[in-house]
Order: sequence, then C-alpha cells, then structure tokens
Amino acid sequence: MSIEREYQQWRDKTEKVVAKRPERKSEFVNASDIPIQRLYLPQDGIQSEQEYLDKLGFPGEYPYTRGIQPTMYRGRYWTMRQYAGFGSAEETNRRFRYLLEQGQTGLSTAFDLPTQIGYDADHPFSRGEVGKVGVSISSLLDMETLLAGIPLDKVSTSMTINAPASVLLAMYLVVAEKQGVTWDKVSGTIQNDILKEYVARGTYIFPPKPSMRLITDIFEFCSQEVPNWNTISISGYHIREAGSTAVQEVAFTLANAIAYVEAALAKGLAVDDFAPRLSFFFNAHNDFFEEIAKFRAARRMWAKIMKERFHATSPKSMQLRFHTQTAGSTLTAQQPDNNIVRVTVQAMAAVLGGTQSLHTNSRDEALALPTEDSARVALRTQQILAYESGITDTVDPLAGSYYVESLTDAIEERAWAYIDYIDELGGAVAAIEQGYLQKEIHKAAYDTQMAIERGDQIVVGVNKFKLDNEAQPELLRVDPTLGRKQAEALAKLRSERAEEPWRRALDALKEGAKTDQNLMPLIIDAVRAYATVGEICNVLRDVFGEYRPSIF
Amino acid sequence: MSQPIRVLIAKAGLDGHDRGALVIAQGLRDQGMEVIYTGLRQTPEQIVTTAIQEDVACIGLSSLSGAHLELFPEVIRLLKEQQADDILVIGGGVIPESDVAILEAEGVAKVFTPGTTIEEVAEFIRANVHLRALDESALAASPARTIDHVGVAVKSIAEVLPFYTRQLGLSVTHEEVVADQGVRVVFVSAANANIELLEPVDETGTMAKFIAKHGPGVHHVAYAVDDIHQAIAQAKAAGMRVLDESPRRGAHGKWVAFLHPKDTFGVLTEFCQQPQAGDRE
Repeated sequence: MSIEREYQQWRDKTEKVVAKRPERKSEFVNASDIPIQRLYLPQDGIQSEQEYLDKLGFPGEYPYTRGIQPTMYRGRYWTMRQYAGFGSAEETNRRFRYLLEQGQTGLSTAFDLPTQIGYDADHPFSRGEVGKVGVSISSLLDMETLLAGIPLDKVSTSMTINAPASVLLAMYLVVAEKQGVTWDKVSGTIQNDILKEYVARGTYIFPPKPSMRLITDIFEFCSQEVPNWNTISISGYHIREAGSTAVQEVAFTLANAIAYVEAALAKGLAVDDFAPRLSFFFNAHNDFFEEIAKFRAARRMWAKIMKERFHATSPKSMQLRFHTQTAGSTLTAQQPDNNIVRVTVQAMAAVLGGTQSLHTNSRDEALALPTEDSARVALRTQQILAYESGITDTVDPLAGSYYVESLTDAIEERAWAYIDYIDELGGAVAAIEQGYLQKEIHKAAYDTQMAIERGDQIVVGVNKFKLDNEAQPELLRVDPTLGRKQAEALAKLRSERAEEPWRRALDALKEGAKTDQNLMPLIIDAVRAYATVGEICNVLRDVFGEYRPSIF
Repeated sequence: MSQPIRVLIAKAGLDGHDRGALVIAQGLRDQGMEVIYTGLRQTPEQIVTTAIQEDVACIGLSSLSGAHLELFPEVIRLLKEQQADDILVIGGGVIPESDVAILEAEGVAKVFTPGTTIEEVAEFIRANVHLRALDESALAASPARTIDHVGVAVKSIAEVLPFYTRQLGLSVTHEEVVADQGVRVVFVSAANANIELLEPVDETGTMAKFIAKHGPGVHHVAYAVDDIHQAIAQAKAAGMRVLDESPRRGAHGKWVAFLHPKDTFGVLTEFCQQPQAGDRE
C-alpha cells in the first residue's frame, strides 16, 4: 500500500474527528505568512538522492545548508559572545574580565549612542546618553582603558559600530600595536553595516554613497593588513527587531549583502579577496522551527549568490558565517524571569541552525541593561545547551525532517521573490532610498501589534496569564554623572595632546576624503595623534555631508 | 463637528529604536487622531518647537536608550517656559518602574511601558487632553448650528405614531415619500427639533436593510447648516468619508449630505440646508 492511499484514509478519518472537535485555529499560518500543514509527509521533504545532493549536500560543502564546517560542534562549540558595555571604559573593562573569567570565549562591545553617531561625550547632543546603552569611547585613551589587561592576540572582539566603524577599528589596531600584537594576529568583527542603519537601527551619520566608500575602504585595507578581521557583520538582527518577518530578515539582509559586494567589485576589488571576511548577524526569534529553517535557507542562498551571481571560486567566499542574538523584542517587562525560558528556546534554535557565535539576552533587558547576575544566567544558558543538552553531538540534527526541509524551501522561495523585487527597484540602496524596506518592515510590525492586541498572538504574562502585583527586580544603574566626568577627561586630553601632529593628521584626512584614496591609514594616523571620535567624524561630515532621512 | 486630536510622536535623544514610535503613530491614526512623527534624534528644544508650530494637543515621547530621566523633564520645562504646558505629555519606552514615578512627578502625565495596547494609549489621550488645546479656530468655523432633526427607523409609522403624539404630546408637521431613498417619512415636532420617522416602502432600499440589520431605532442625526458645500468640504478636509459628494434632495426639498458613521463615532450624521428660492429640481 502506498503512503498516498494510507494518507487519504487517515485524512478522511481525521477530518471527521476535527468536524466534531475543531482544532485550535481554523488555519495555521506562521508570521511569514507560510501556511503550516497539519502533517508533513515524506513527499514534503527530500525526494531523491539527487535532490539531497543539490539542496543539502554535506556539512562544510556547497551549498552549506547543513553547516559551514564538516564537524560543527563536535569539533568545538560556537563562540559564546555576550554583548556588553555600559558606563565608563573602566566599568566595561571590569565586566569584560568578569565574563572571560566565567568562561565566555569572545568579547562583544556595546558602545553608547554618542560614540555610535560620532559625537564626543561633551557634545550637546550627547546630553543624557553618555554611557547609557554602551560604553562611552571618545578617544584612544578610553580604548586603551577598555582593553587593558585583555590579550588581543588571544581574545577575538566584536564591536557593534557602524557609521564610525573605521575610527573604532583604527583605535583597536593602535591599542594592539601598543600591546606588541601585530595586526595579522588580531581577530574580531566590526558591524560596519550602514544599510540596515538607514532601514532599522538609526545610527547613521553620512549619506549612503560616502558611507559605502568608507566600508569598501575597510574591506580593502583589512584584506591587506588585518587578514583575520571580519570587516562587516551584515545584520538581519535589527531588521527583525524593527518588526520584520523571518523571510524579510533573510531577504533584506542578503539584499544588503549583495549591495556591499557590488560596491566592492565596483571599487576594483577581487571577489575572493574580500568575500571570505564578510560575516552575518541574525536574530533567533520565537518560532522554533521557522528560525532553524531560516538559518539553513540563508546559508544555501548565500552560497548560490556568491557562486552563481558573483562567480566566487573560494569556498570561504560562499560560506555564510553568522553570529546570532536572541530576540530582544520578545522579552517582556512583565514577569521577567520568564524571559530565561524564551531565551533558551531561541538559543536552541540558533544552535540547531548552526550559528558560529551566540549572544543570549538577559532576563531584565526589557527594563534596563543587564545586571551581572542576569548576564551570568544568560551565559549559563548557552553553557547548559553546549555541555548538557546533547544537541551538539551530531551535525544538523534536524536535516531530513519533512517539516524543517519544507519550511527551509518555503523561506528560500519567498526570500528570493523579495530579492528579485529589490533588484527590480535598483538594488538595496535604491530600495532603501525609496523607503520600500522600511515600509515593509513597519507593516509587519503593525500587524504583529494588532495580532497581540486582538489576542490572536499570545504573549505569556502580557495578554494572558498576567500577574496583578509583580515584584520589581534589581536593575543596573548607570552613573548619571558620567557625562560630566567624560567631558572633564576630554577637556584635559584636548589641552594636553600635542597640537601640531593632531592638526596635521586631521588636515590630511580632510584632503584624503576629497579624493578616492583609502582613508583607513589616515584615520589610524589621526587616532595615534589622539584625535577624538567626534573630531574625526566632524572632518568627514564637512566633506561628506549628513544623511537626512525622509519620513515614510 | 469636532476636530481630530493632534498628537506629536517624538523620538527624544539619539535612540534609533523607532518600532514602538511608528506603531503608536499608526495606531493613533487608526483611532482617528492626527499624528505627526518627528523622525529620529530630536532634542527637547526641537520637540517643543515642533509641538507649538503644529498646534498639537499631546506629545508622545519615546526613548529606549535610558536617557529619559534627562530628556523628558527637559521637554516639560521648555513647554512651561513657552507657556505651552497645556499640551499633554506622555512617554513610552524601556523605562523601569522606579523611573515612572520620577517622570510623573516631573509632569509627564503617564508613562506607558512595554505591553501597553494602542487602545489604552488612545483612551488616555482622549480622556486627558486639554480641550482648549484643540483647534479653537476650527470650532469657530463649525458649520453645525442646530439640530434639525433626529431620524428614527421604524417598521410601521402607524404603529409608532401614537407613542409620539399621545404619549409625548408631539404633533405631526409633515409627511411625504422620498422615492429615491425608498422611505415614507413623517415629521413630529418638539419645540426646538424634529423627529423624522422613517418607514421603508422599498424592500430593497437602505432603510429596509438598516432595520433588517440593526432593528428599529435611532438612524441618524441631522444638523442644520448654512452652507452645505462648505460643511462637506470641511468634513473631507478632516479626513471623513462623505457619502454624498454633492448634496441631494431630501425631505422638505432640503439639500442633504451624509457622513460615514465609521468616521463620526458610530452615528450616521446628516447635514441639511434649507432650499433657496433659486434652487431648481
């Protein structure tokens, strides 16, 4: 008897049962608008050996659906990399050392908003913001304090910095130099993904064209001088946080990635020189299987894009390496301990999806920055998944699941449709300038809000299973006088540094910015002369202008 | 006819998280308010200037970066300085409970933390916004002077008439069939307004459908206006859907036009104007 005939019979019987006792919903559809069947069958999964080889292949081999390394976590675990930073460079340095002592294996730096937008701590726009969402770094002095006692040849550091990425990378390299570590020994990542700032995150400074030039300057410089540096982390994370669906997250991230590759090619770089250092950053959201399928689909799509569209030949160019963070927007301010469970489920999806590194959010992040206790529980969550759960003992354990393979295909198909449409609009930069990505994300965000308000989407503790009286947890407080202290430190720096080399370095940068020479060496010189983040960015603002978004 | 409440949604400080601000802006629009969104990176000075220029009744401040304790009270201070502190100020974002009390003591009327519904925010604004901050000039130009009549849908005029005449003591002042609306109407008059009893004569007409759907009861409220074209134009400018783009003839040969009840808080609203001597059929 065939599966098909047996299935017909089963379905008829089941329909009769459902007629009497209906299912929870008349139709099941996920947030990406993909219909979810009651049951998945062999015909929904991989059909033939040839299909297996085309769609999945082997781990470490094209199209990398099953992972980018042959042994994945049997070799070594993902890098446990908790995003941290607040207050002063001293305080953050202490938190870094604490996390390393607790078994964290890489650093990830959160900068405050003035740093991210290229204002010094004493700028009027910095009012109220100094040290709040991350560490305040205005000059090389702050960076030296931040990294004191951390061996930069052993620890890899990720820096969430975009518009002024060149400046912070320059500072990192100069600190390495002072530690006696040569640039070929340092490793880490700068986010450096300006396109998603225009779309979803908001820390842009310059217009798209000069921004893309700064980025490709970094690609070129690092391919020659800092070979182990991930020059960009193309981020779907914030697109998802802004409200997109999983499909949009994959599609918009890869569309942005295509724009970066095209910009680098237009600059005359060879694809296999820079592409191996492109990395990605995704969100791990609530819908467990959809997330796993999303990671697998993204890997397969990137491999195809690099091979077929850009004719890369190095396998490293085709491997989508990614960092994952659990979804901040799913954390609730209500009953915050429940967030530990949400984070666990999300982190498990990231691991089953084959992430290279992971940040797990802390339970109190819907209320404030995490306390040390909360940050430790978040790290322990990863350690429990790695050391206790057993999900790391085989590669891509969900491959062949009828449901997961079907979802992987469905996400890929829908994401291609978006990418094709963005191509029609003239690519990601044009689509962003027209507000297309922003509008699509906003629409999805509004739909989610409405679904929650109608009660179609349940958020435990928020629109169901509420508590009337909740105890307020201990929260982290950032020193409110930090802004003043940083301003005083800056005044001291400005009066003590040697005037002449500082002036010469900034003048050279200004002249360089008007030509098309690579700006990285000039920015490094300015940093060495103790020019601040704000001063360097102001020179570039003078030449490049500032981005003024339209409101869509 | 009331003007929609104008609200400014503002991103204070350098924070780039605008999902909440955008969702609230859209949600309040869907609740019938006029919403202006500032975009990112607004200083307190810029926010207050925009609020005054745009003549808003409410400012919604959003910050998720922890800068709220410095920025929100500064907005309040500047509003006082500008004598614009009749503007209602509310806030939202990642704001711990302990800071909510501080902000409310500083003059923020209400802080909405994650998990708040749009409905709650809208209700709070409607209940607390200062009426004098609403557009007074629009009030002066308001076209509706008096209630002309209240329309009541009935299955049978003969059946209900004794209630109005015998019980309430009103008198019948007019009777006619308005053919293009498929109704027979009888007007009964009180001292300052009329009741228009509407009985369907056409089974497929709108009145028959109304009764089938809602049962008999109040159908519409009609306001007498001096210039119906102007009244229609003002309603359209306020974003209301007008069911009659150009006025048509109603009972008494008056010019009438209806507004969509979805835009008038559930009440079908009619404008009516006395016919002029020169009007032709």
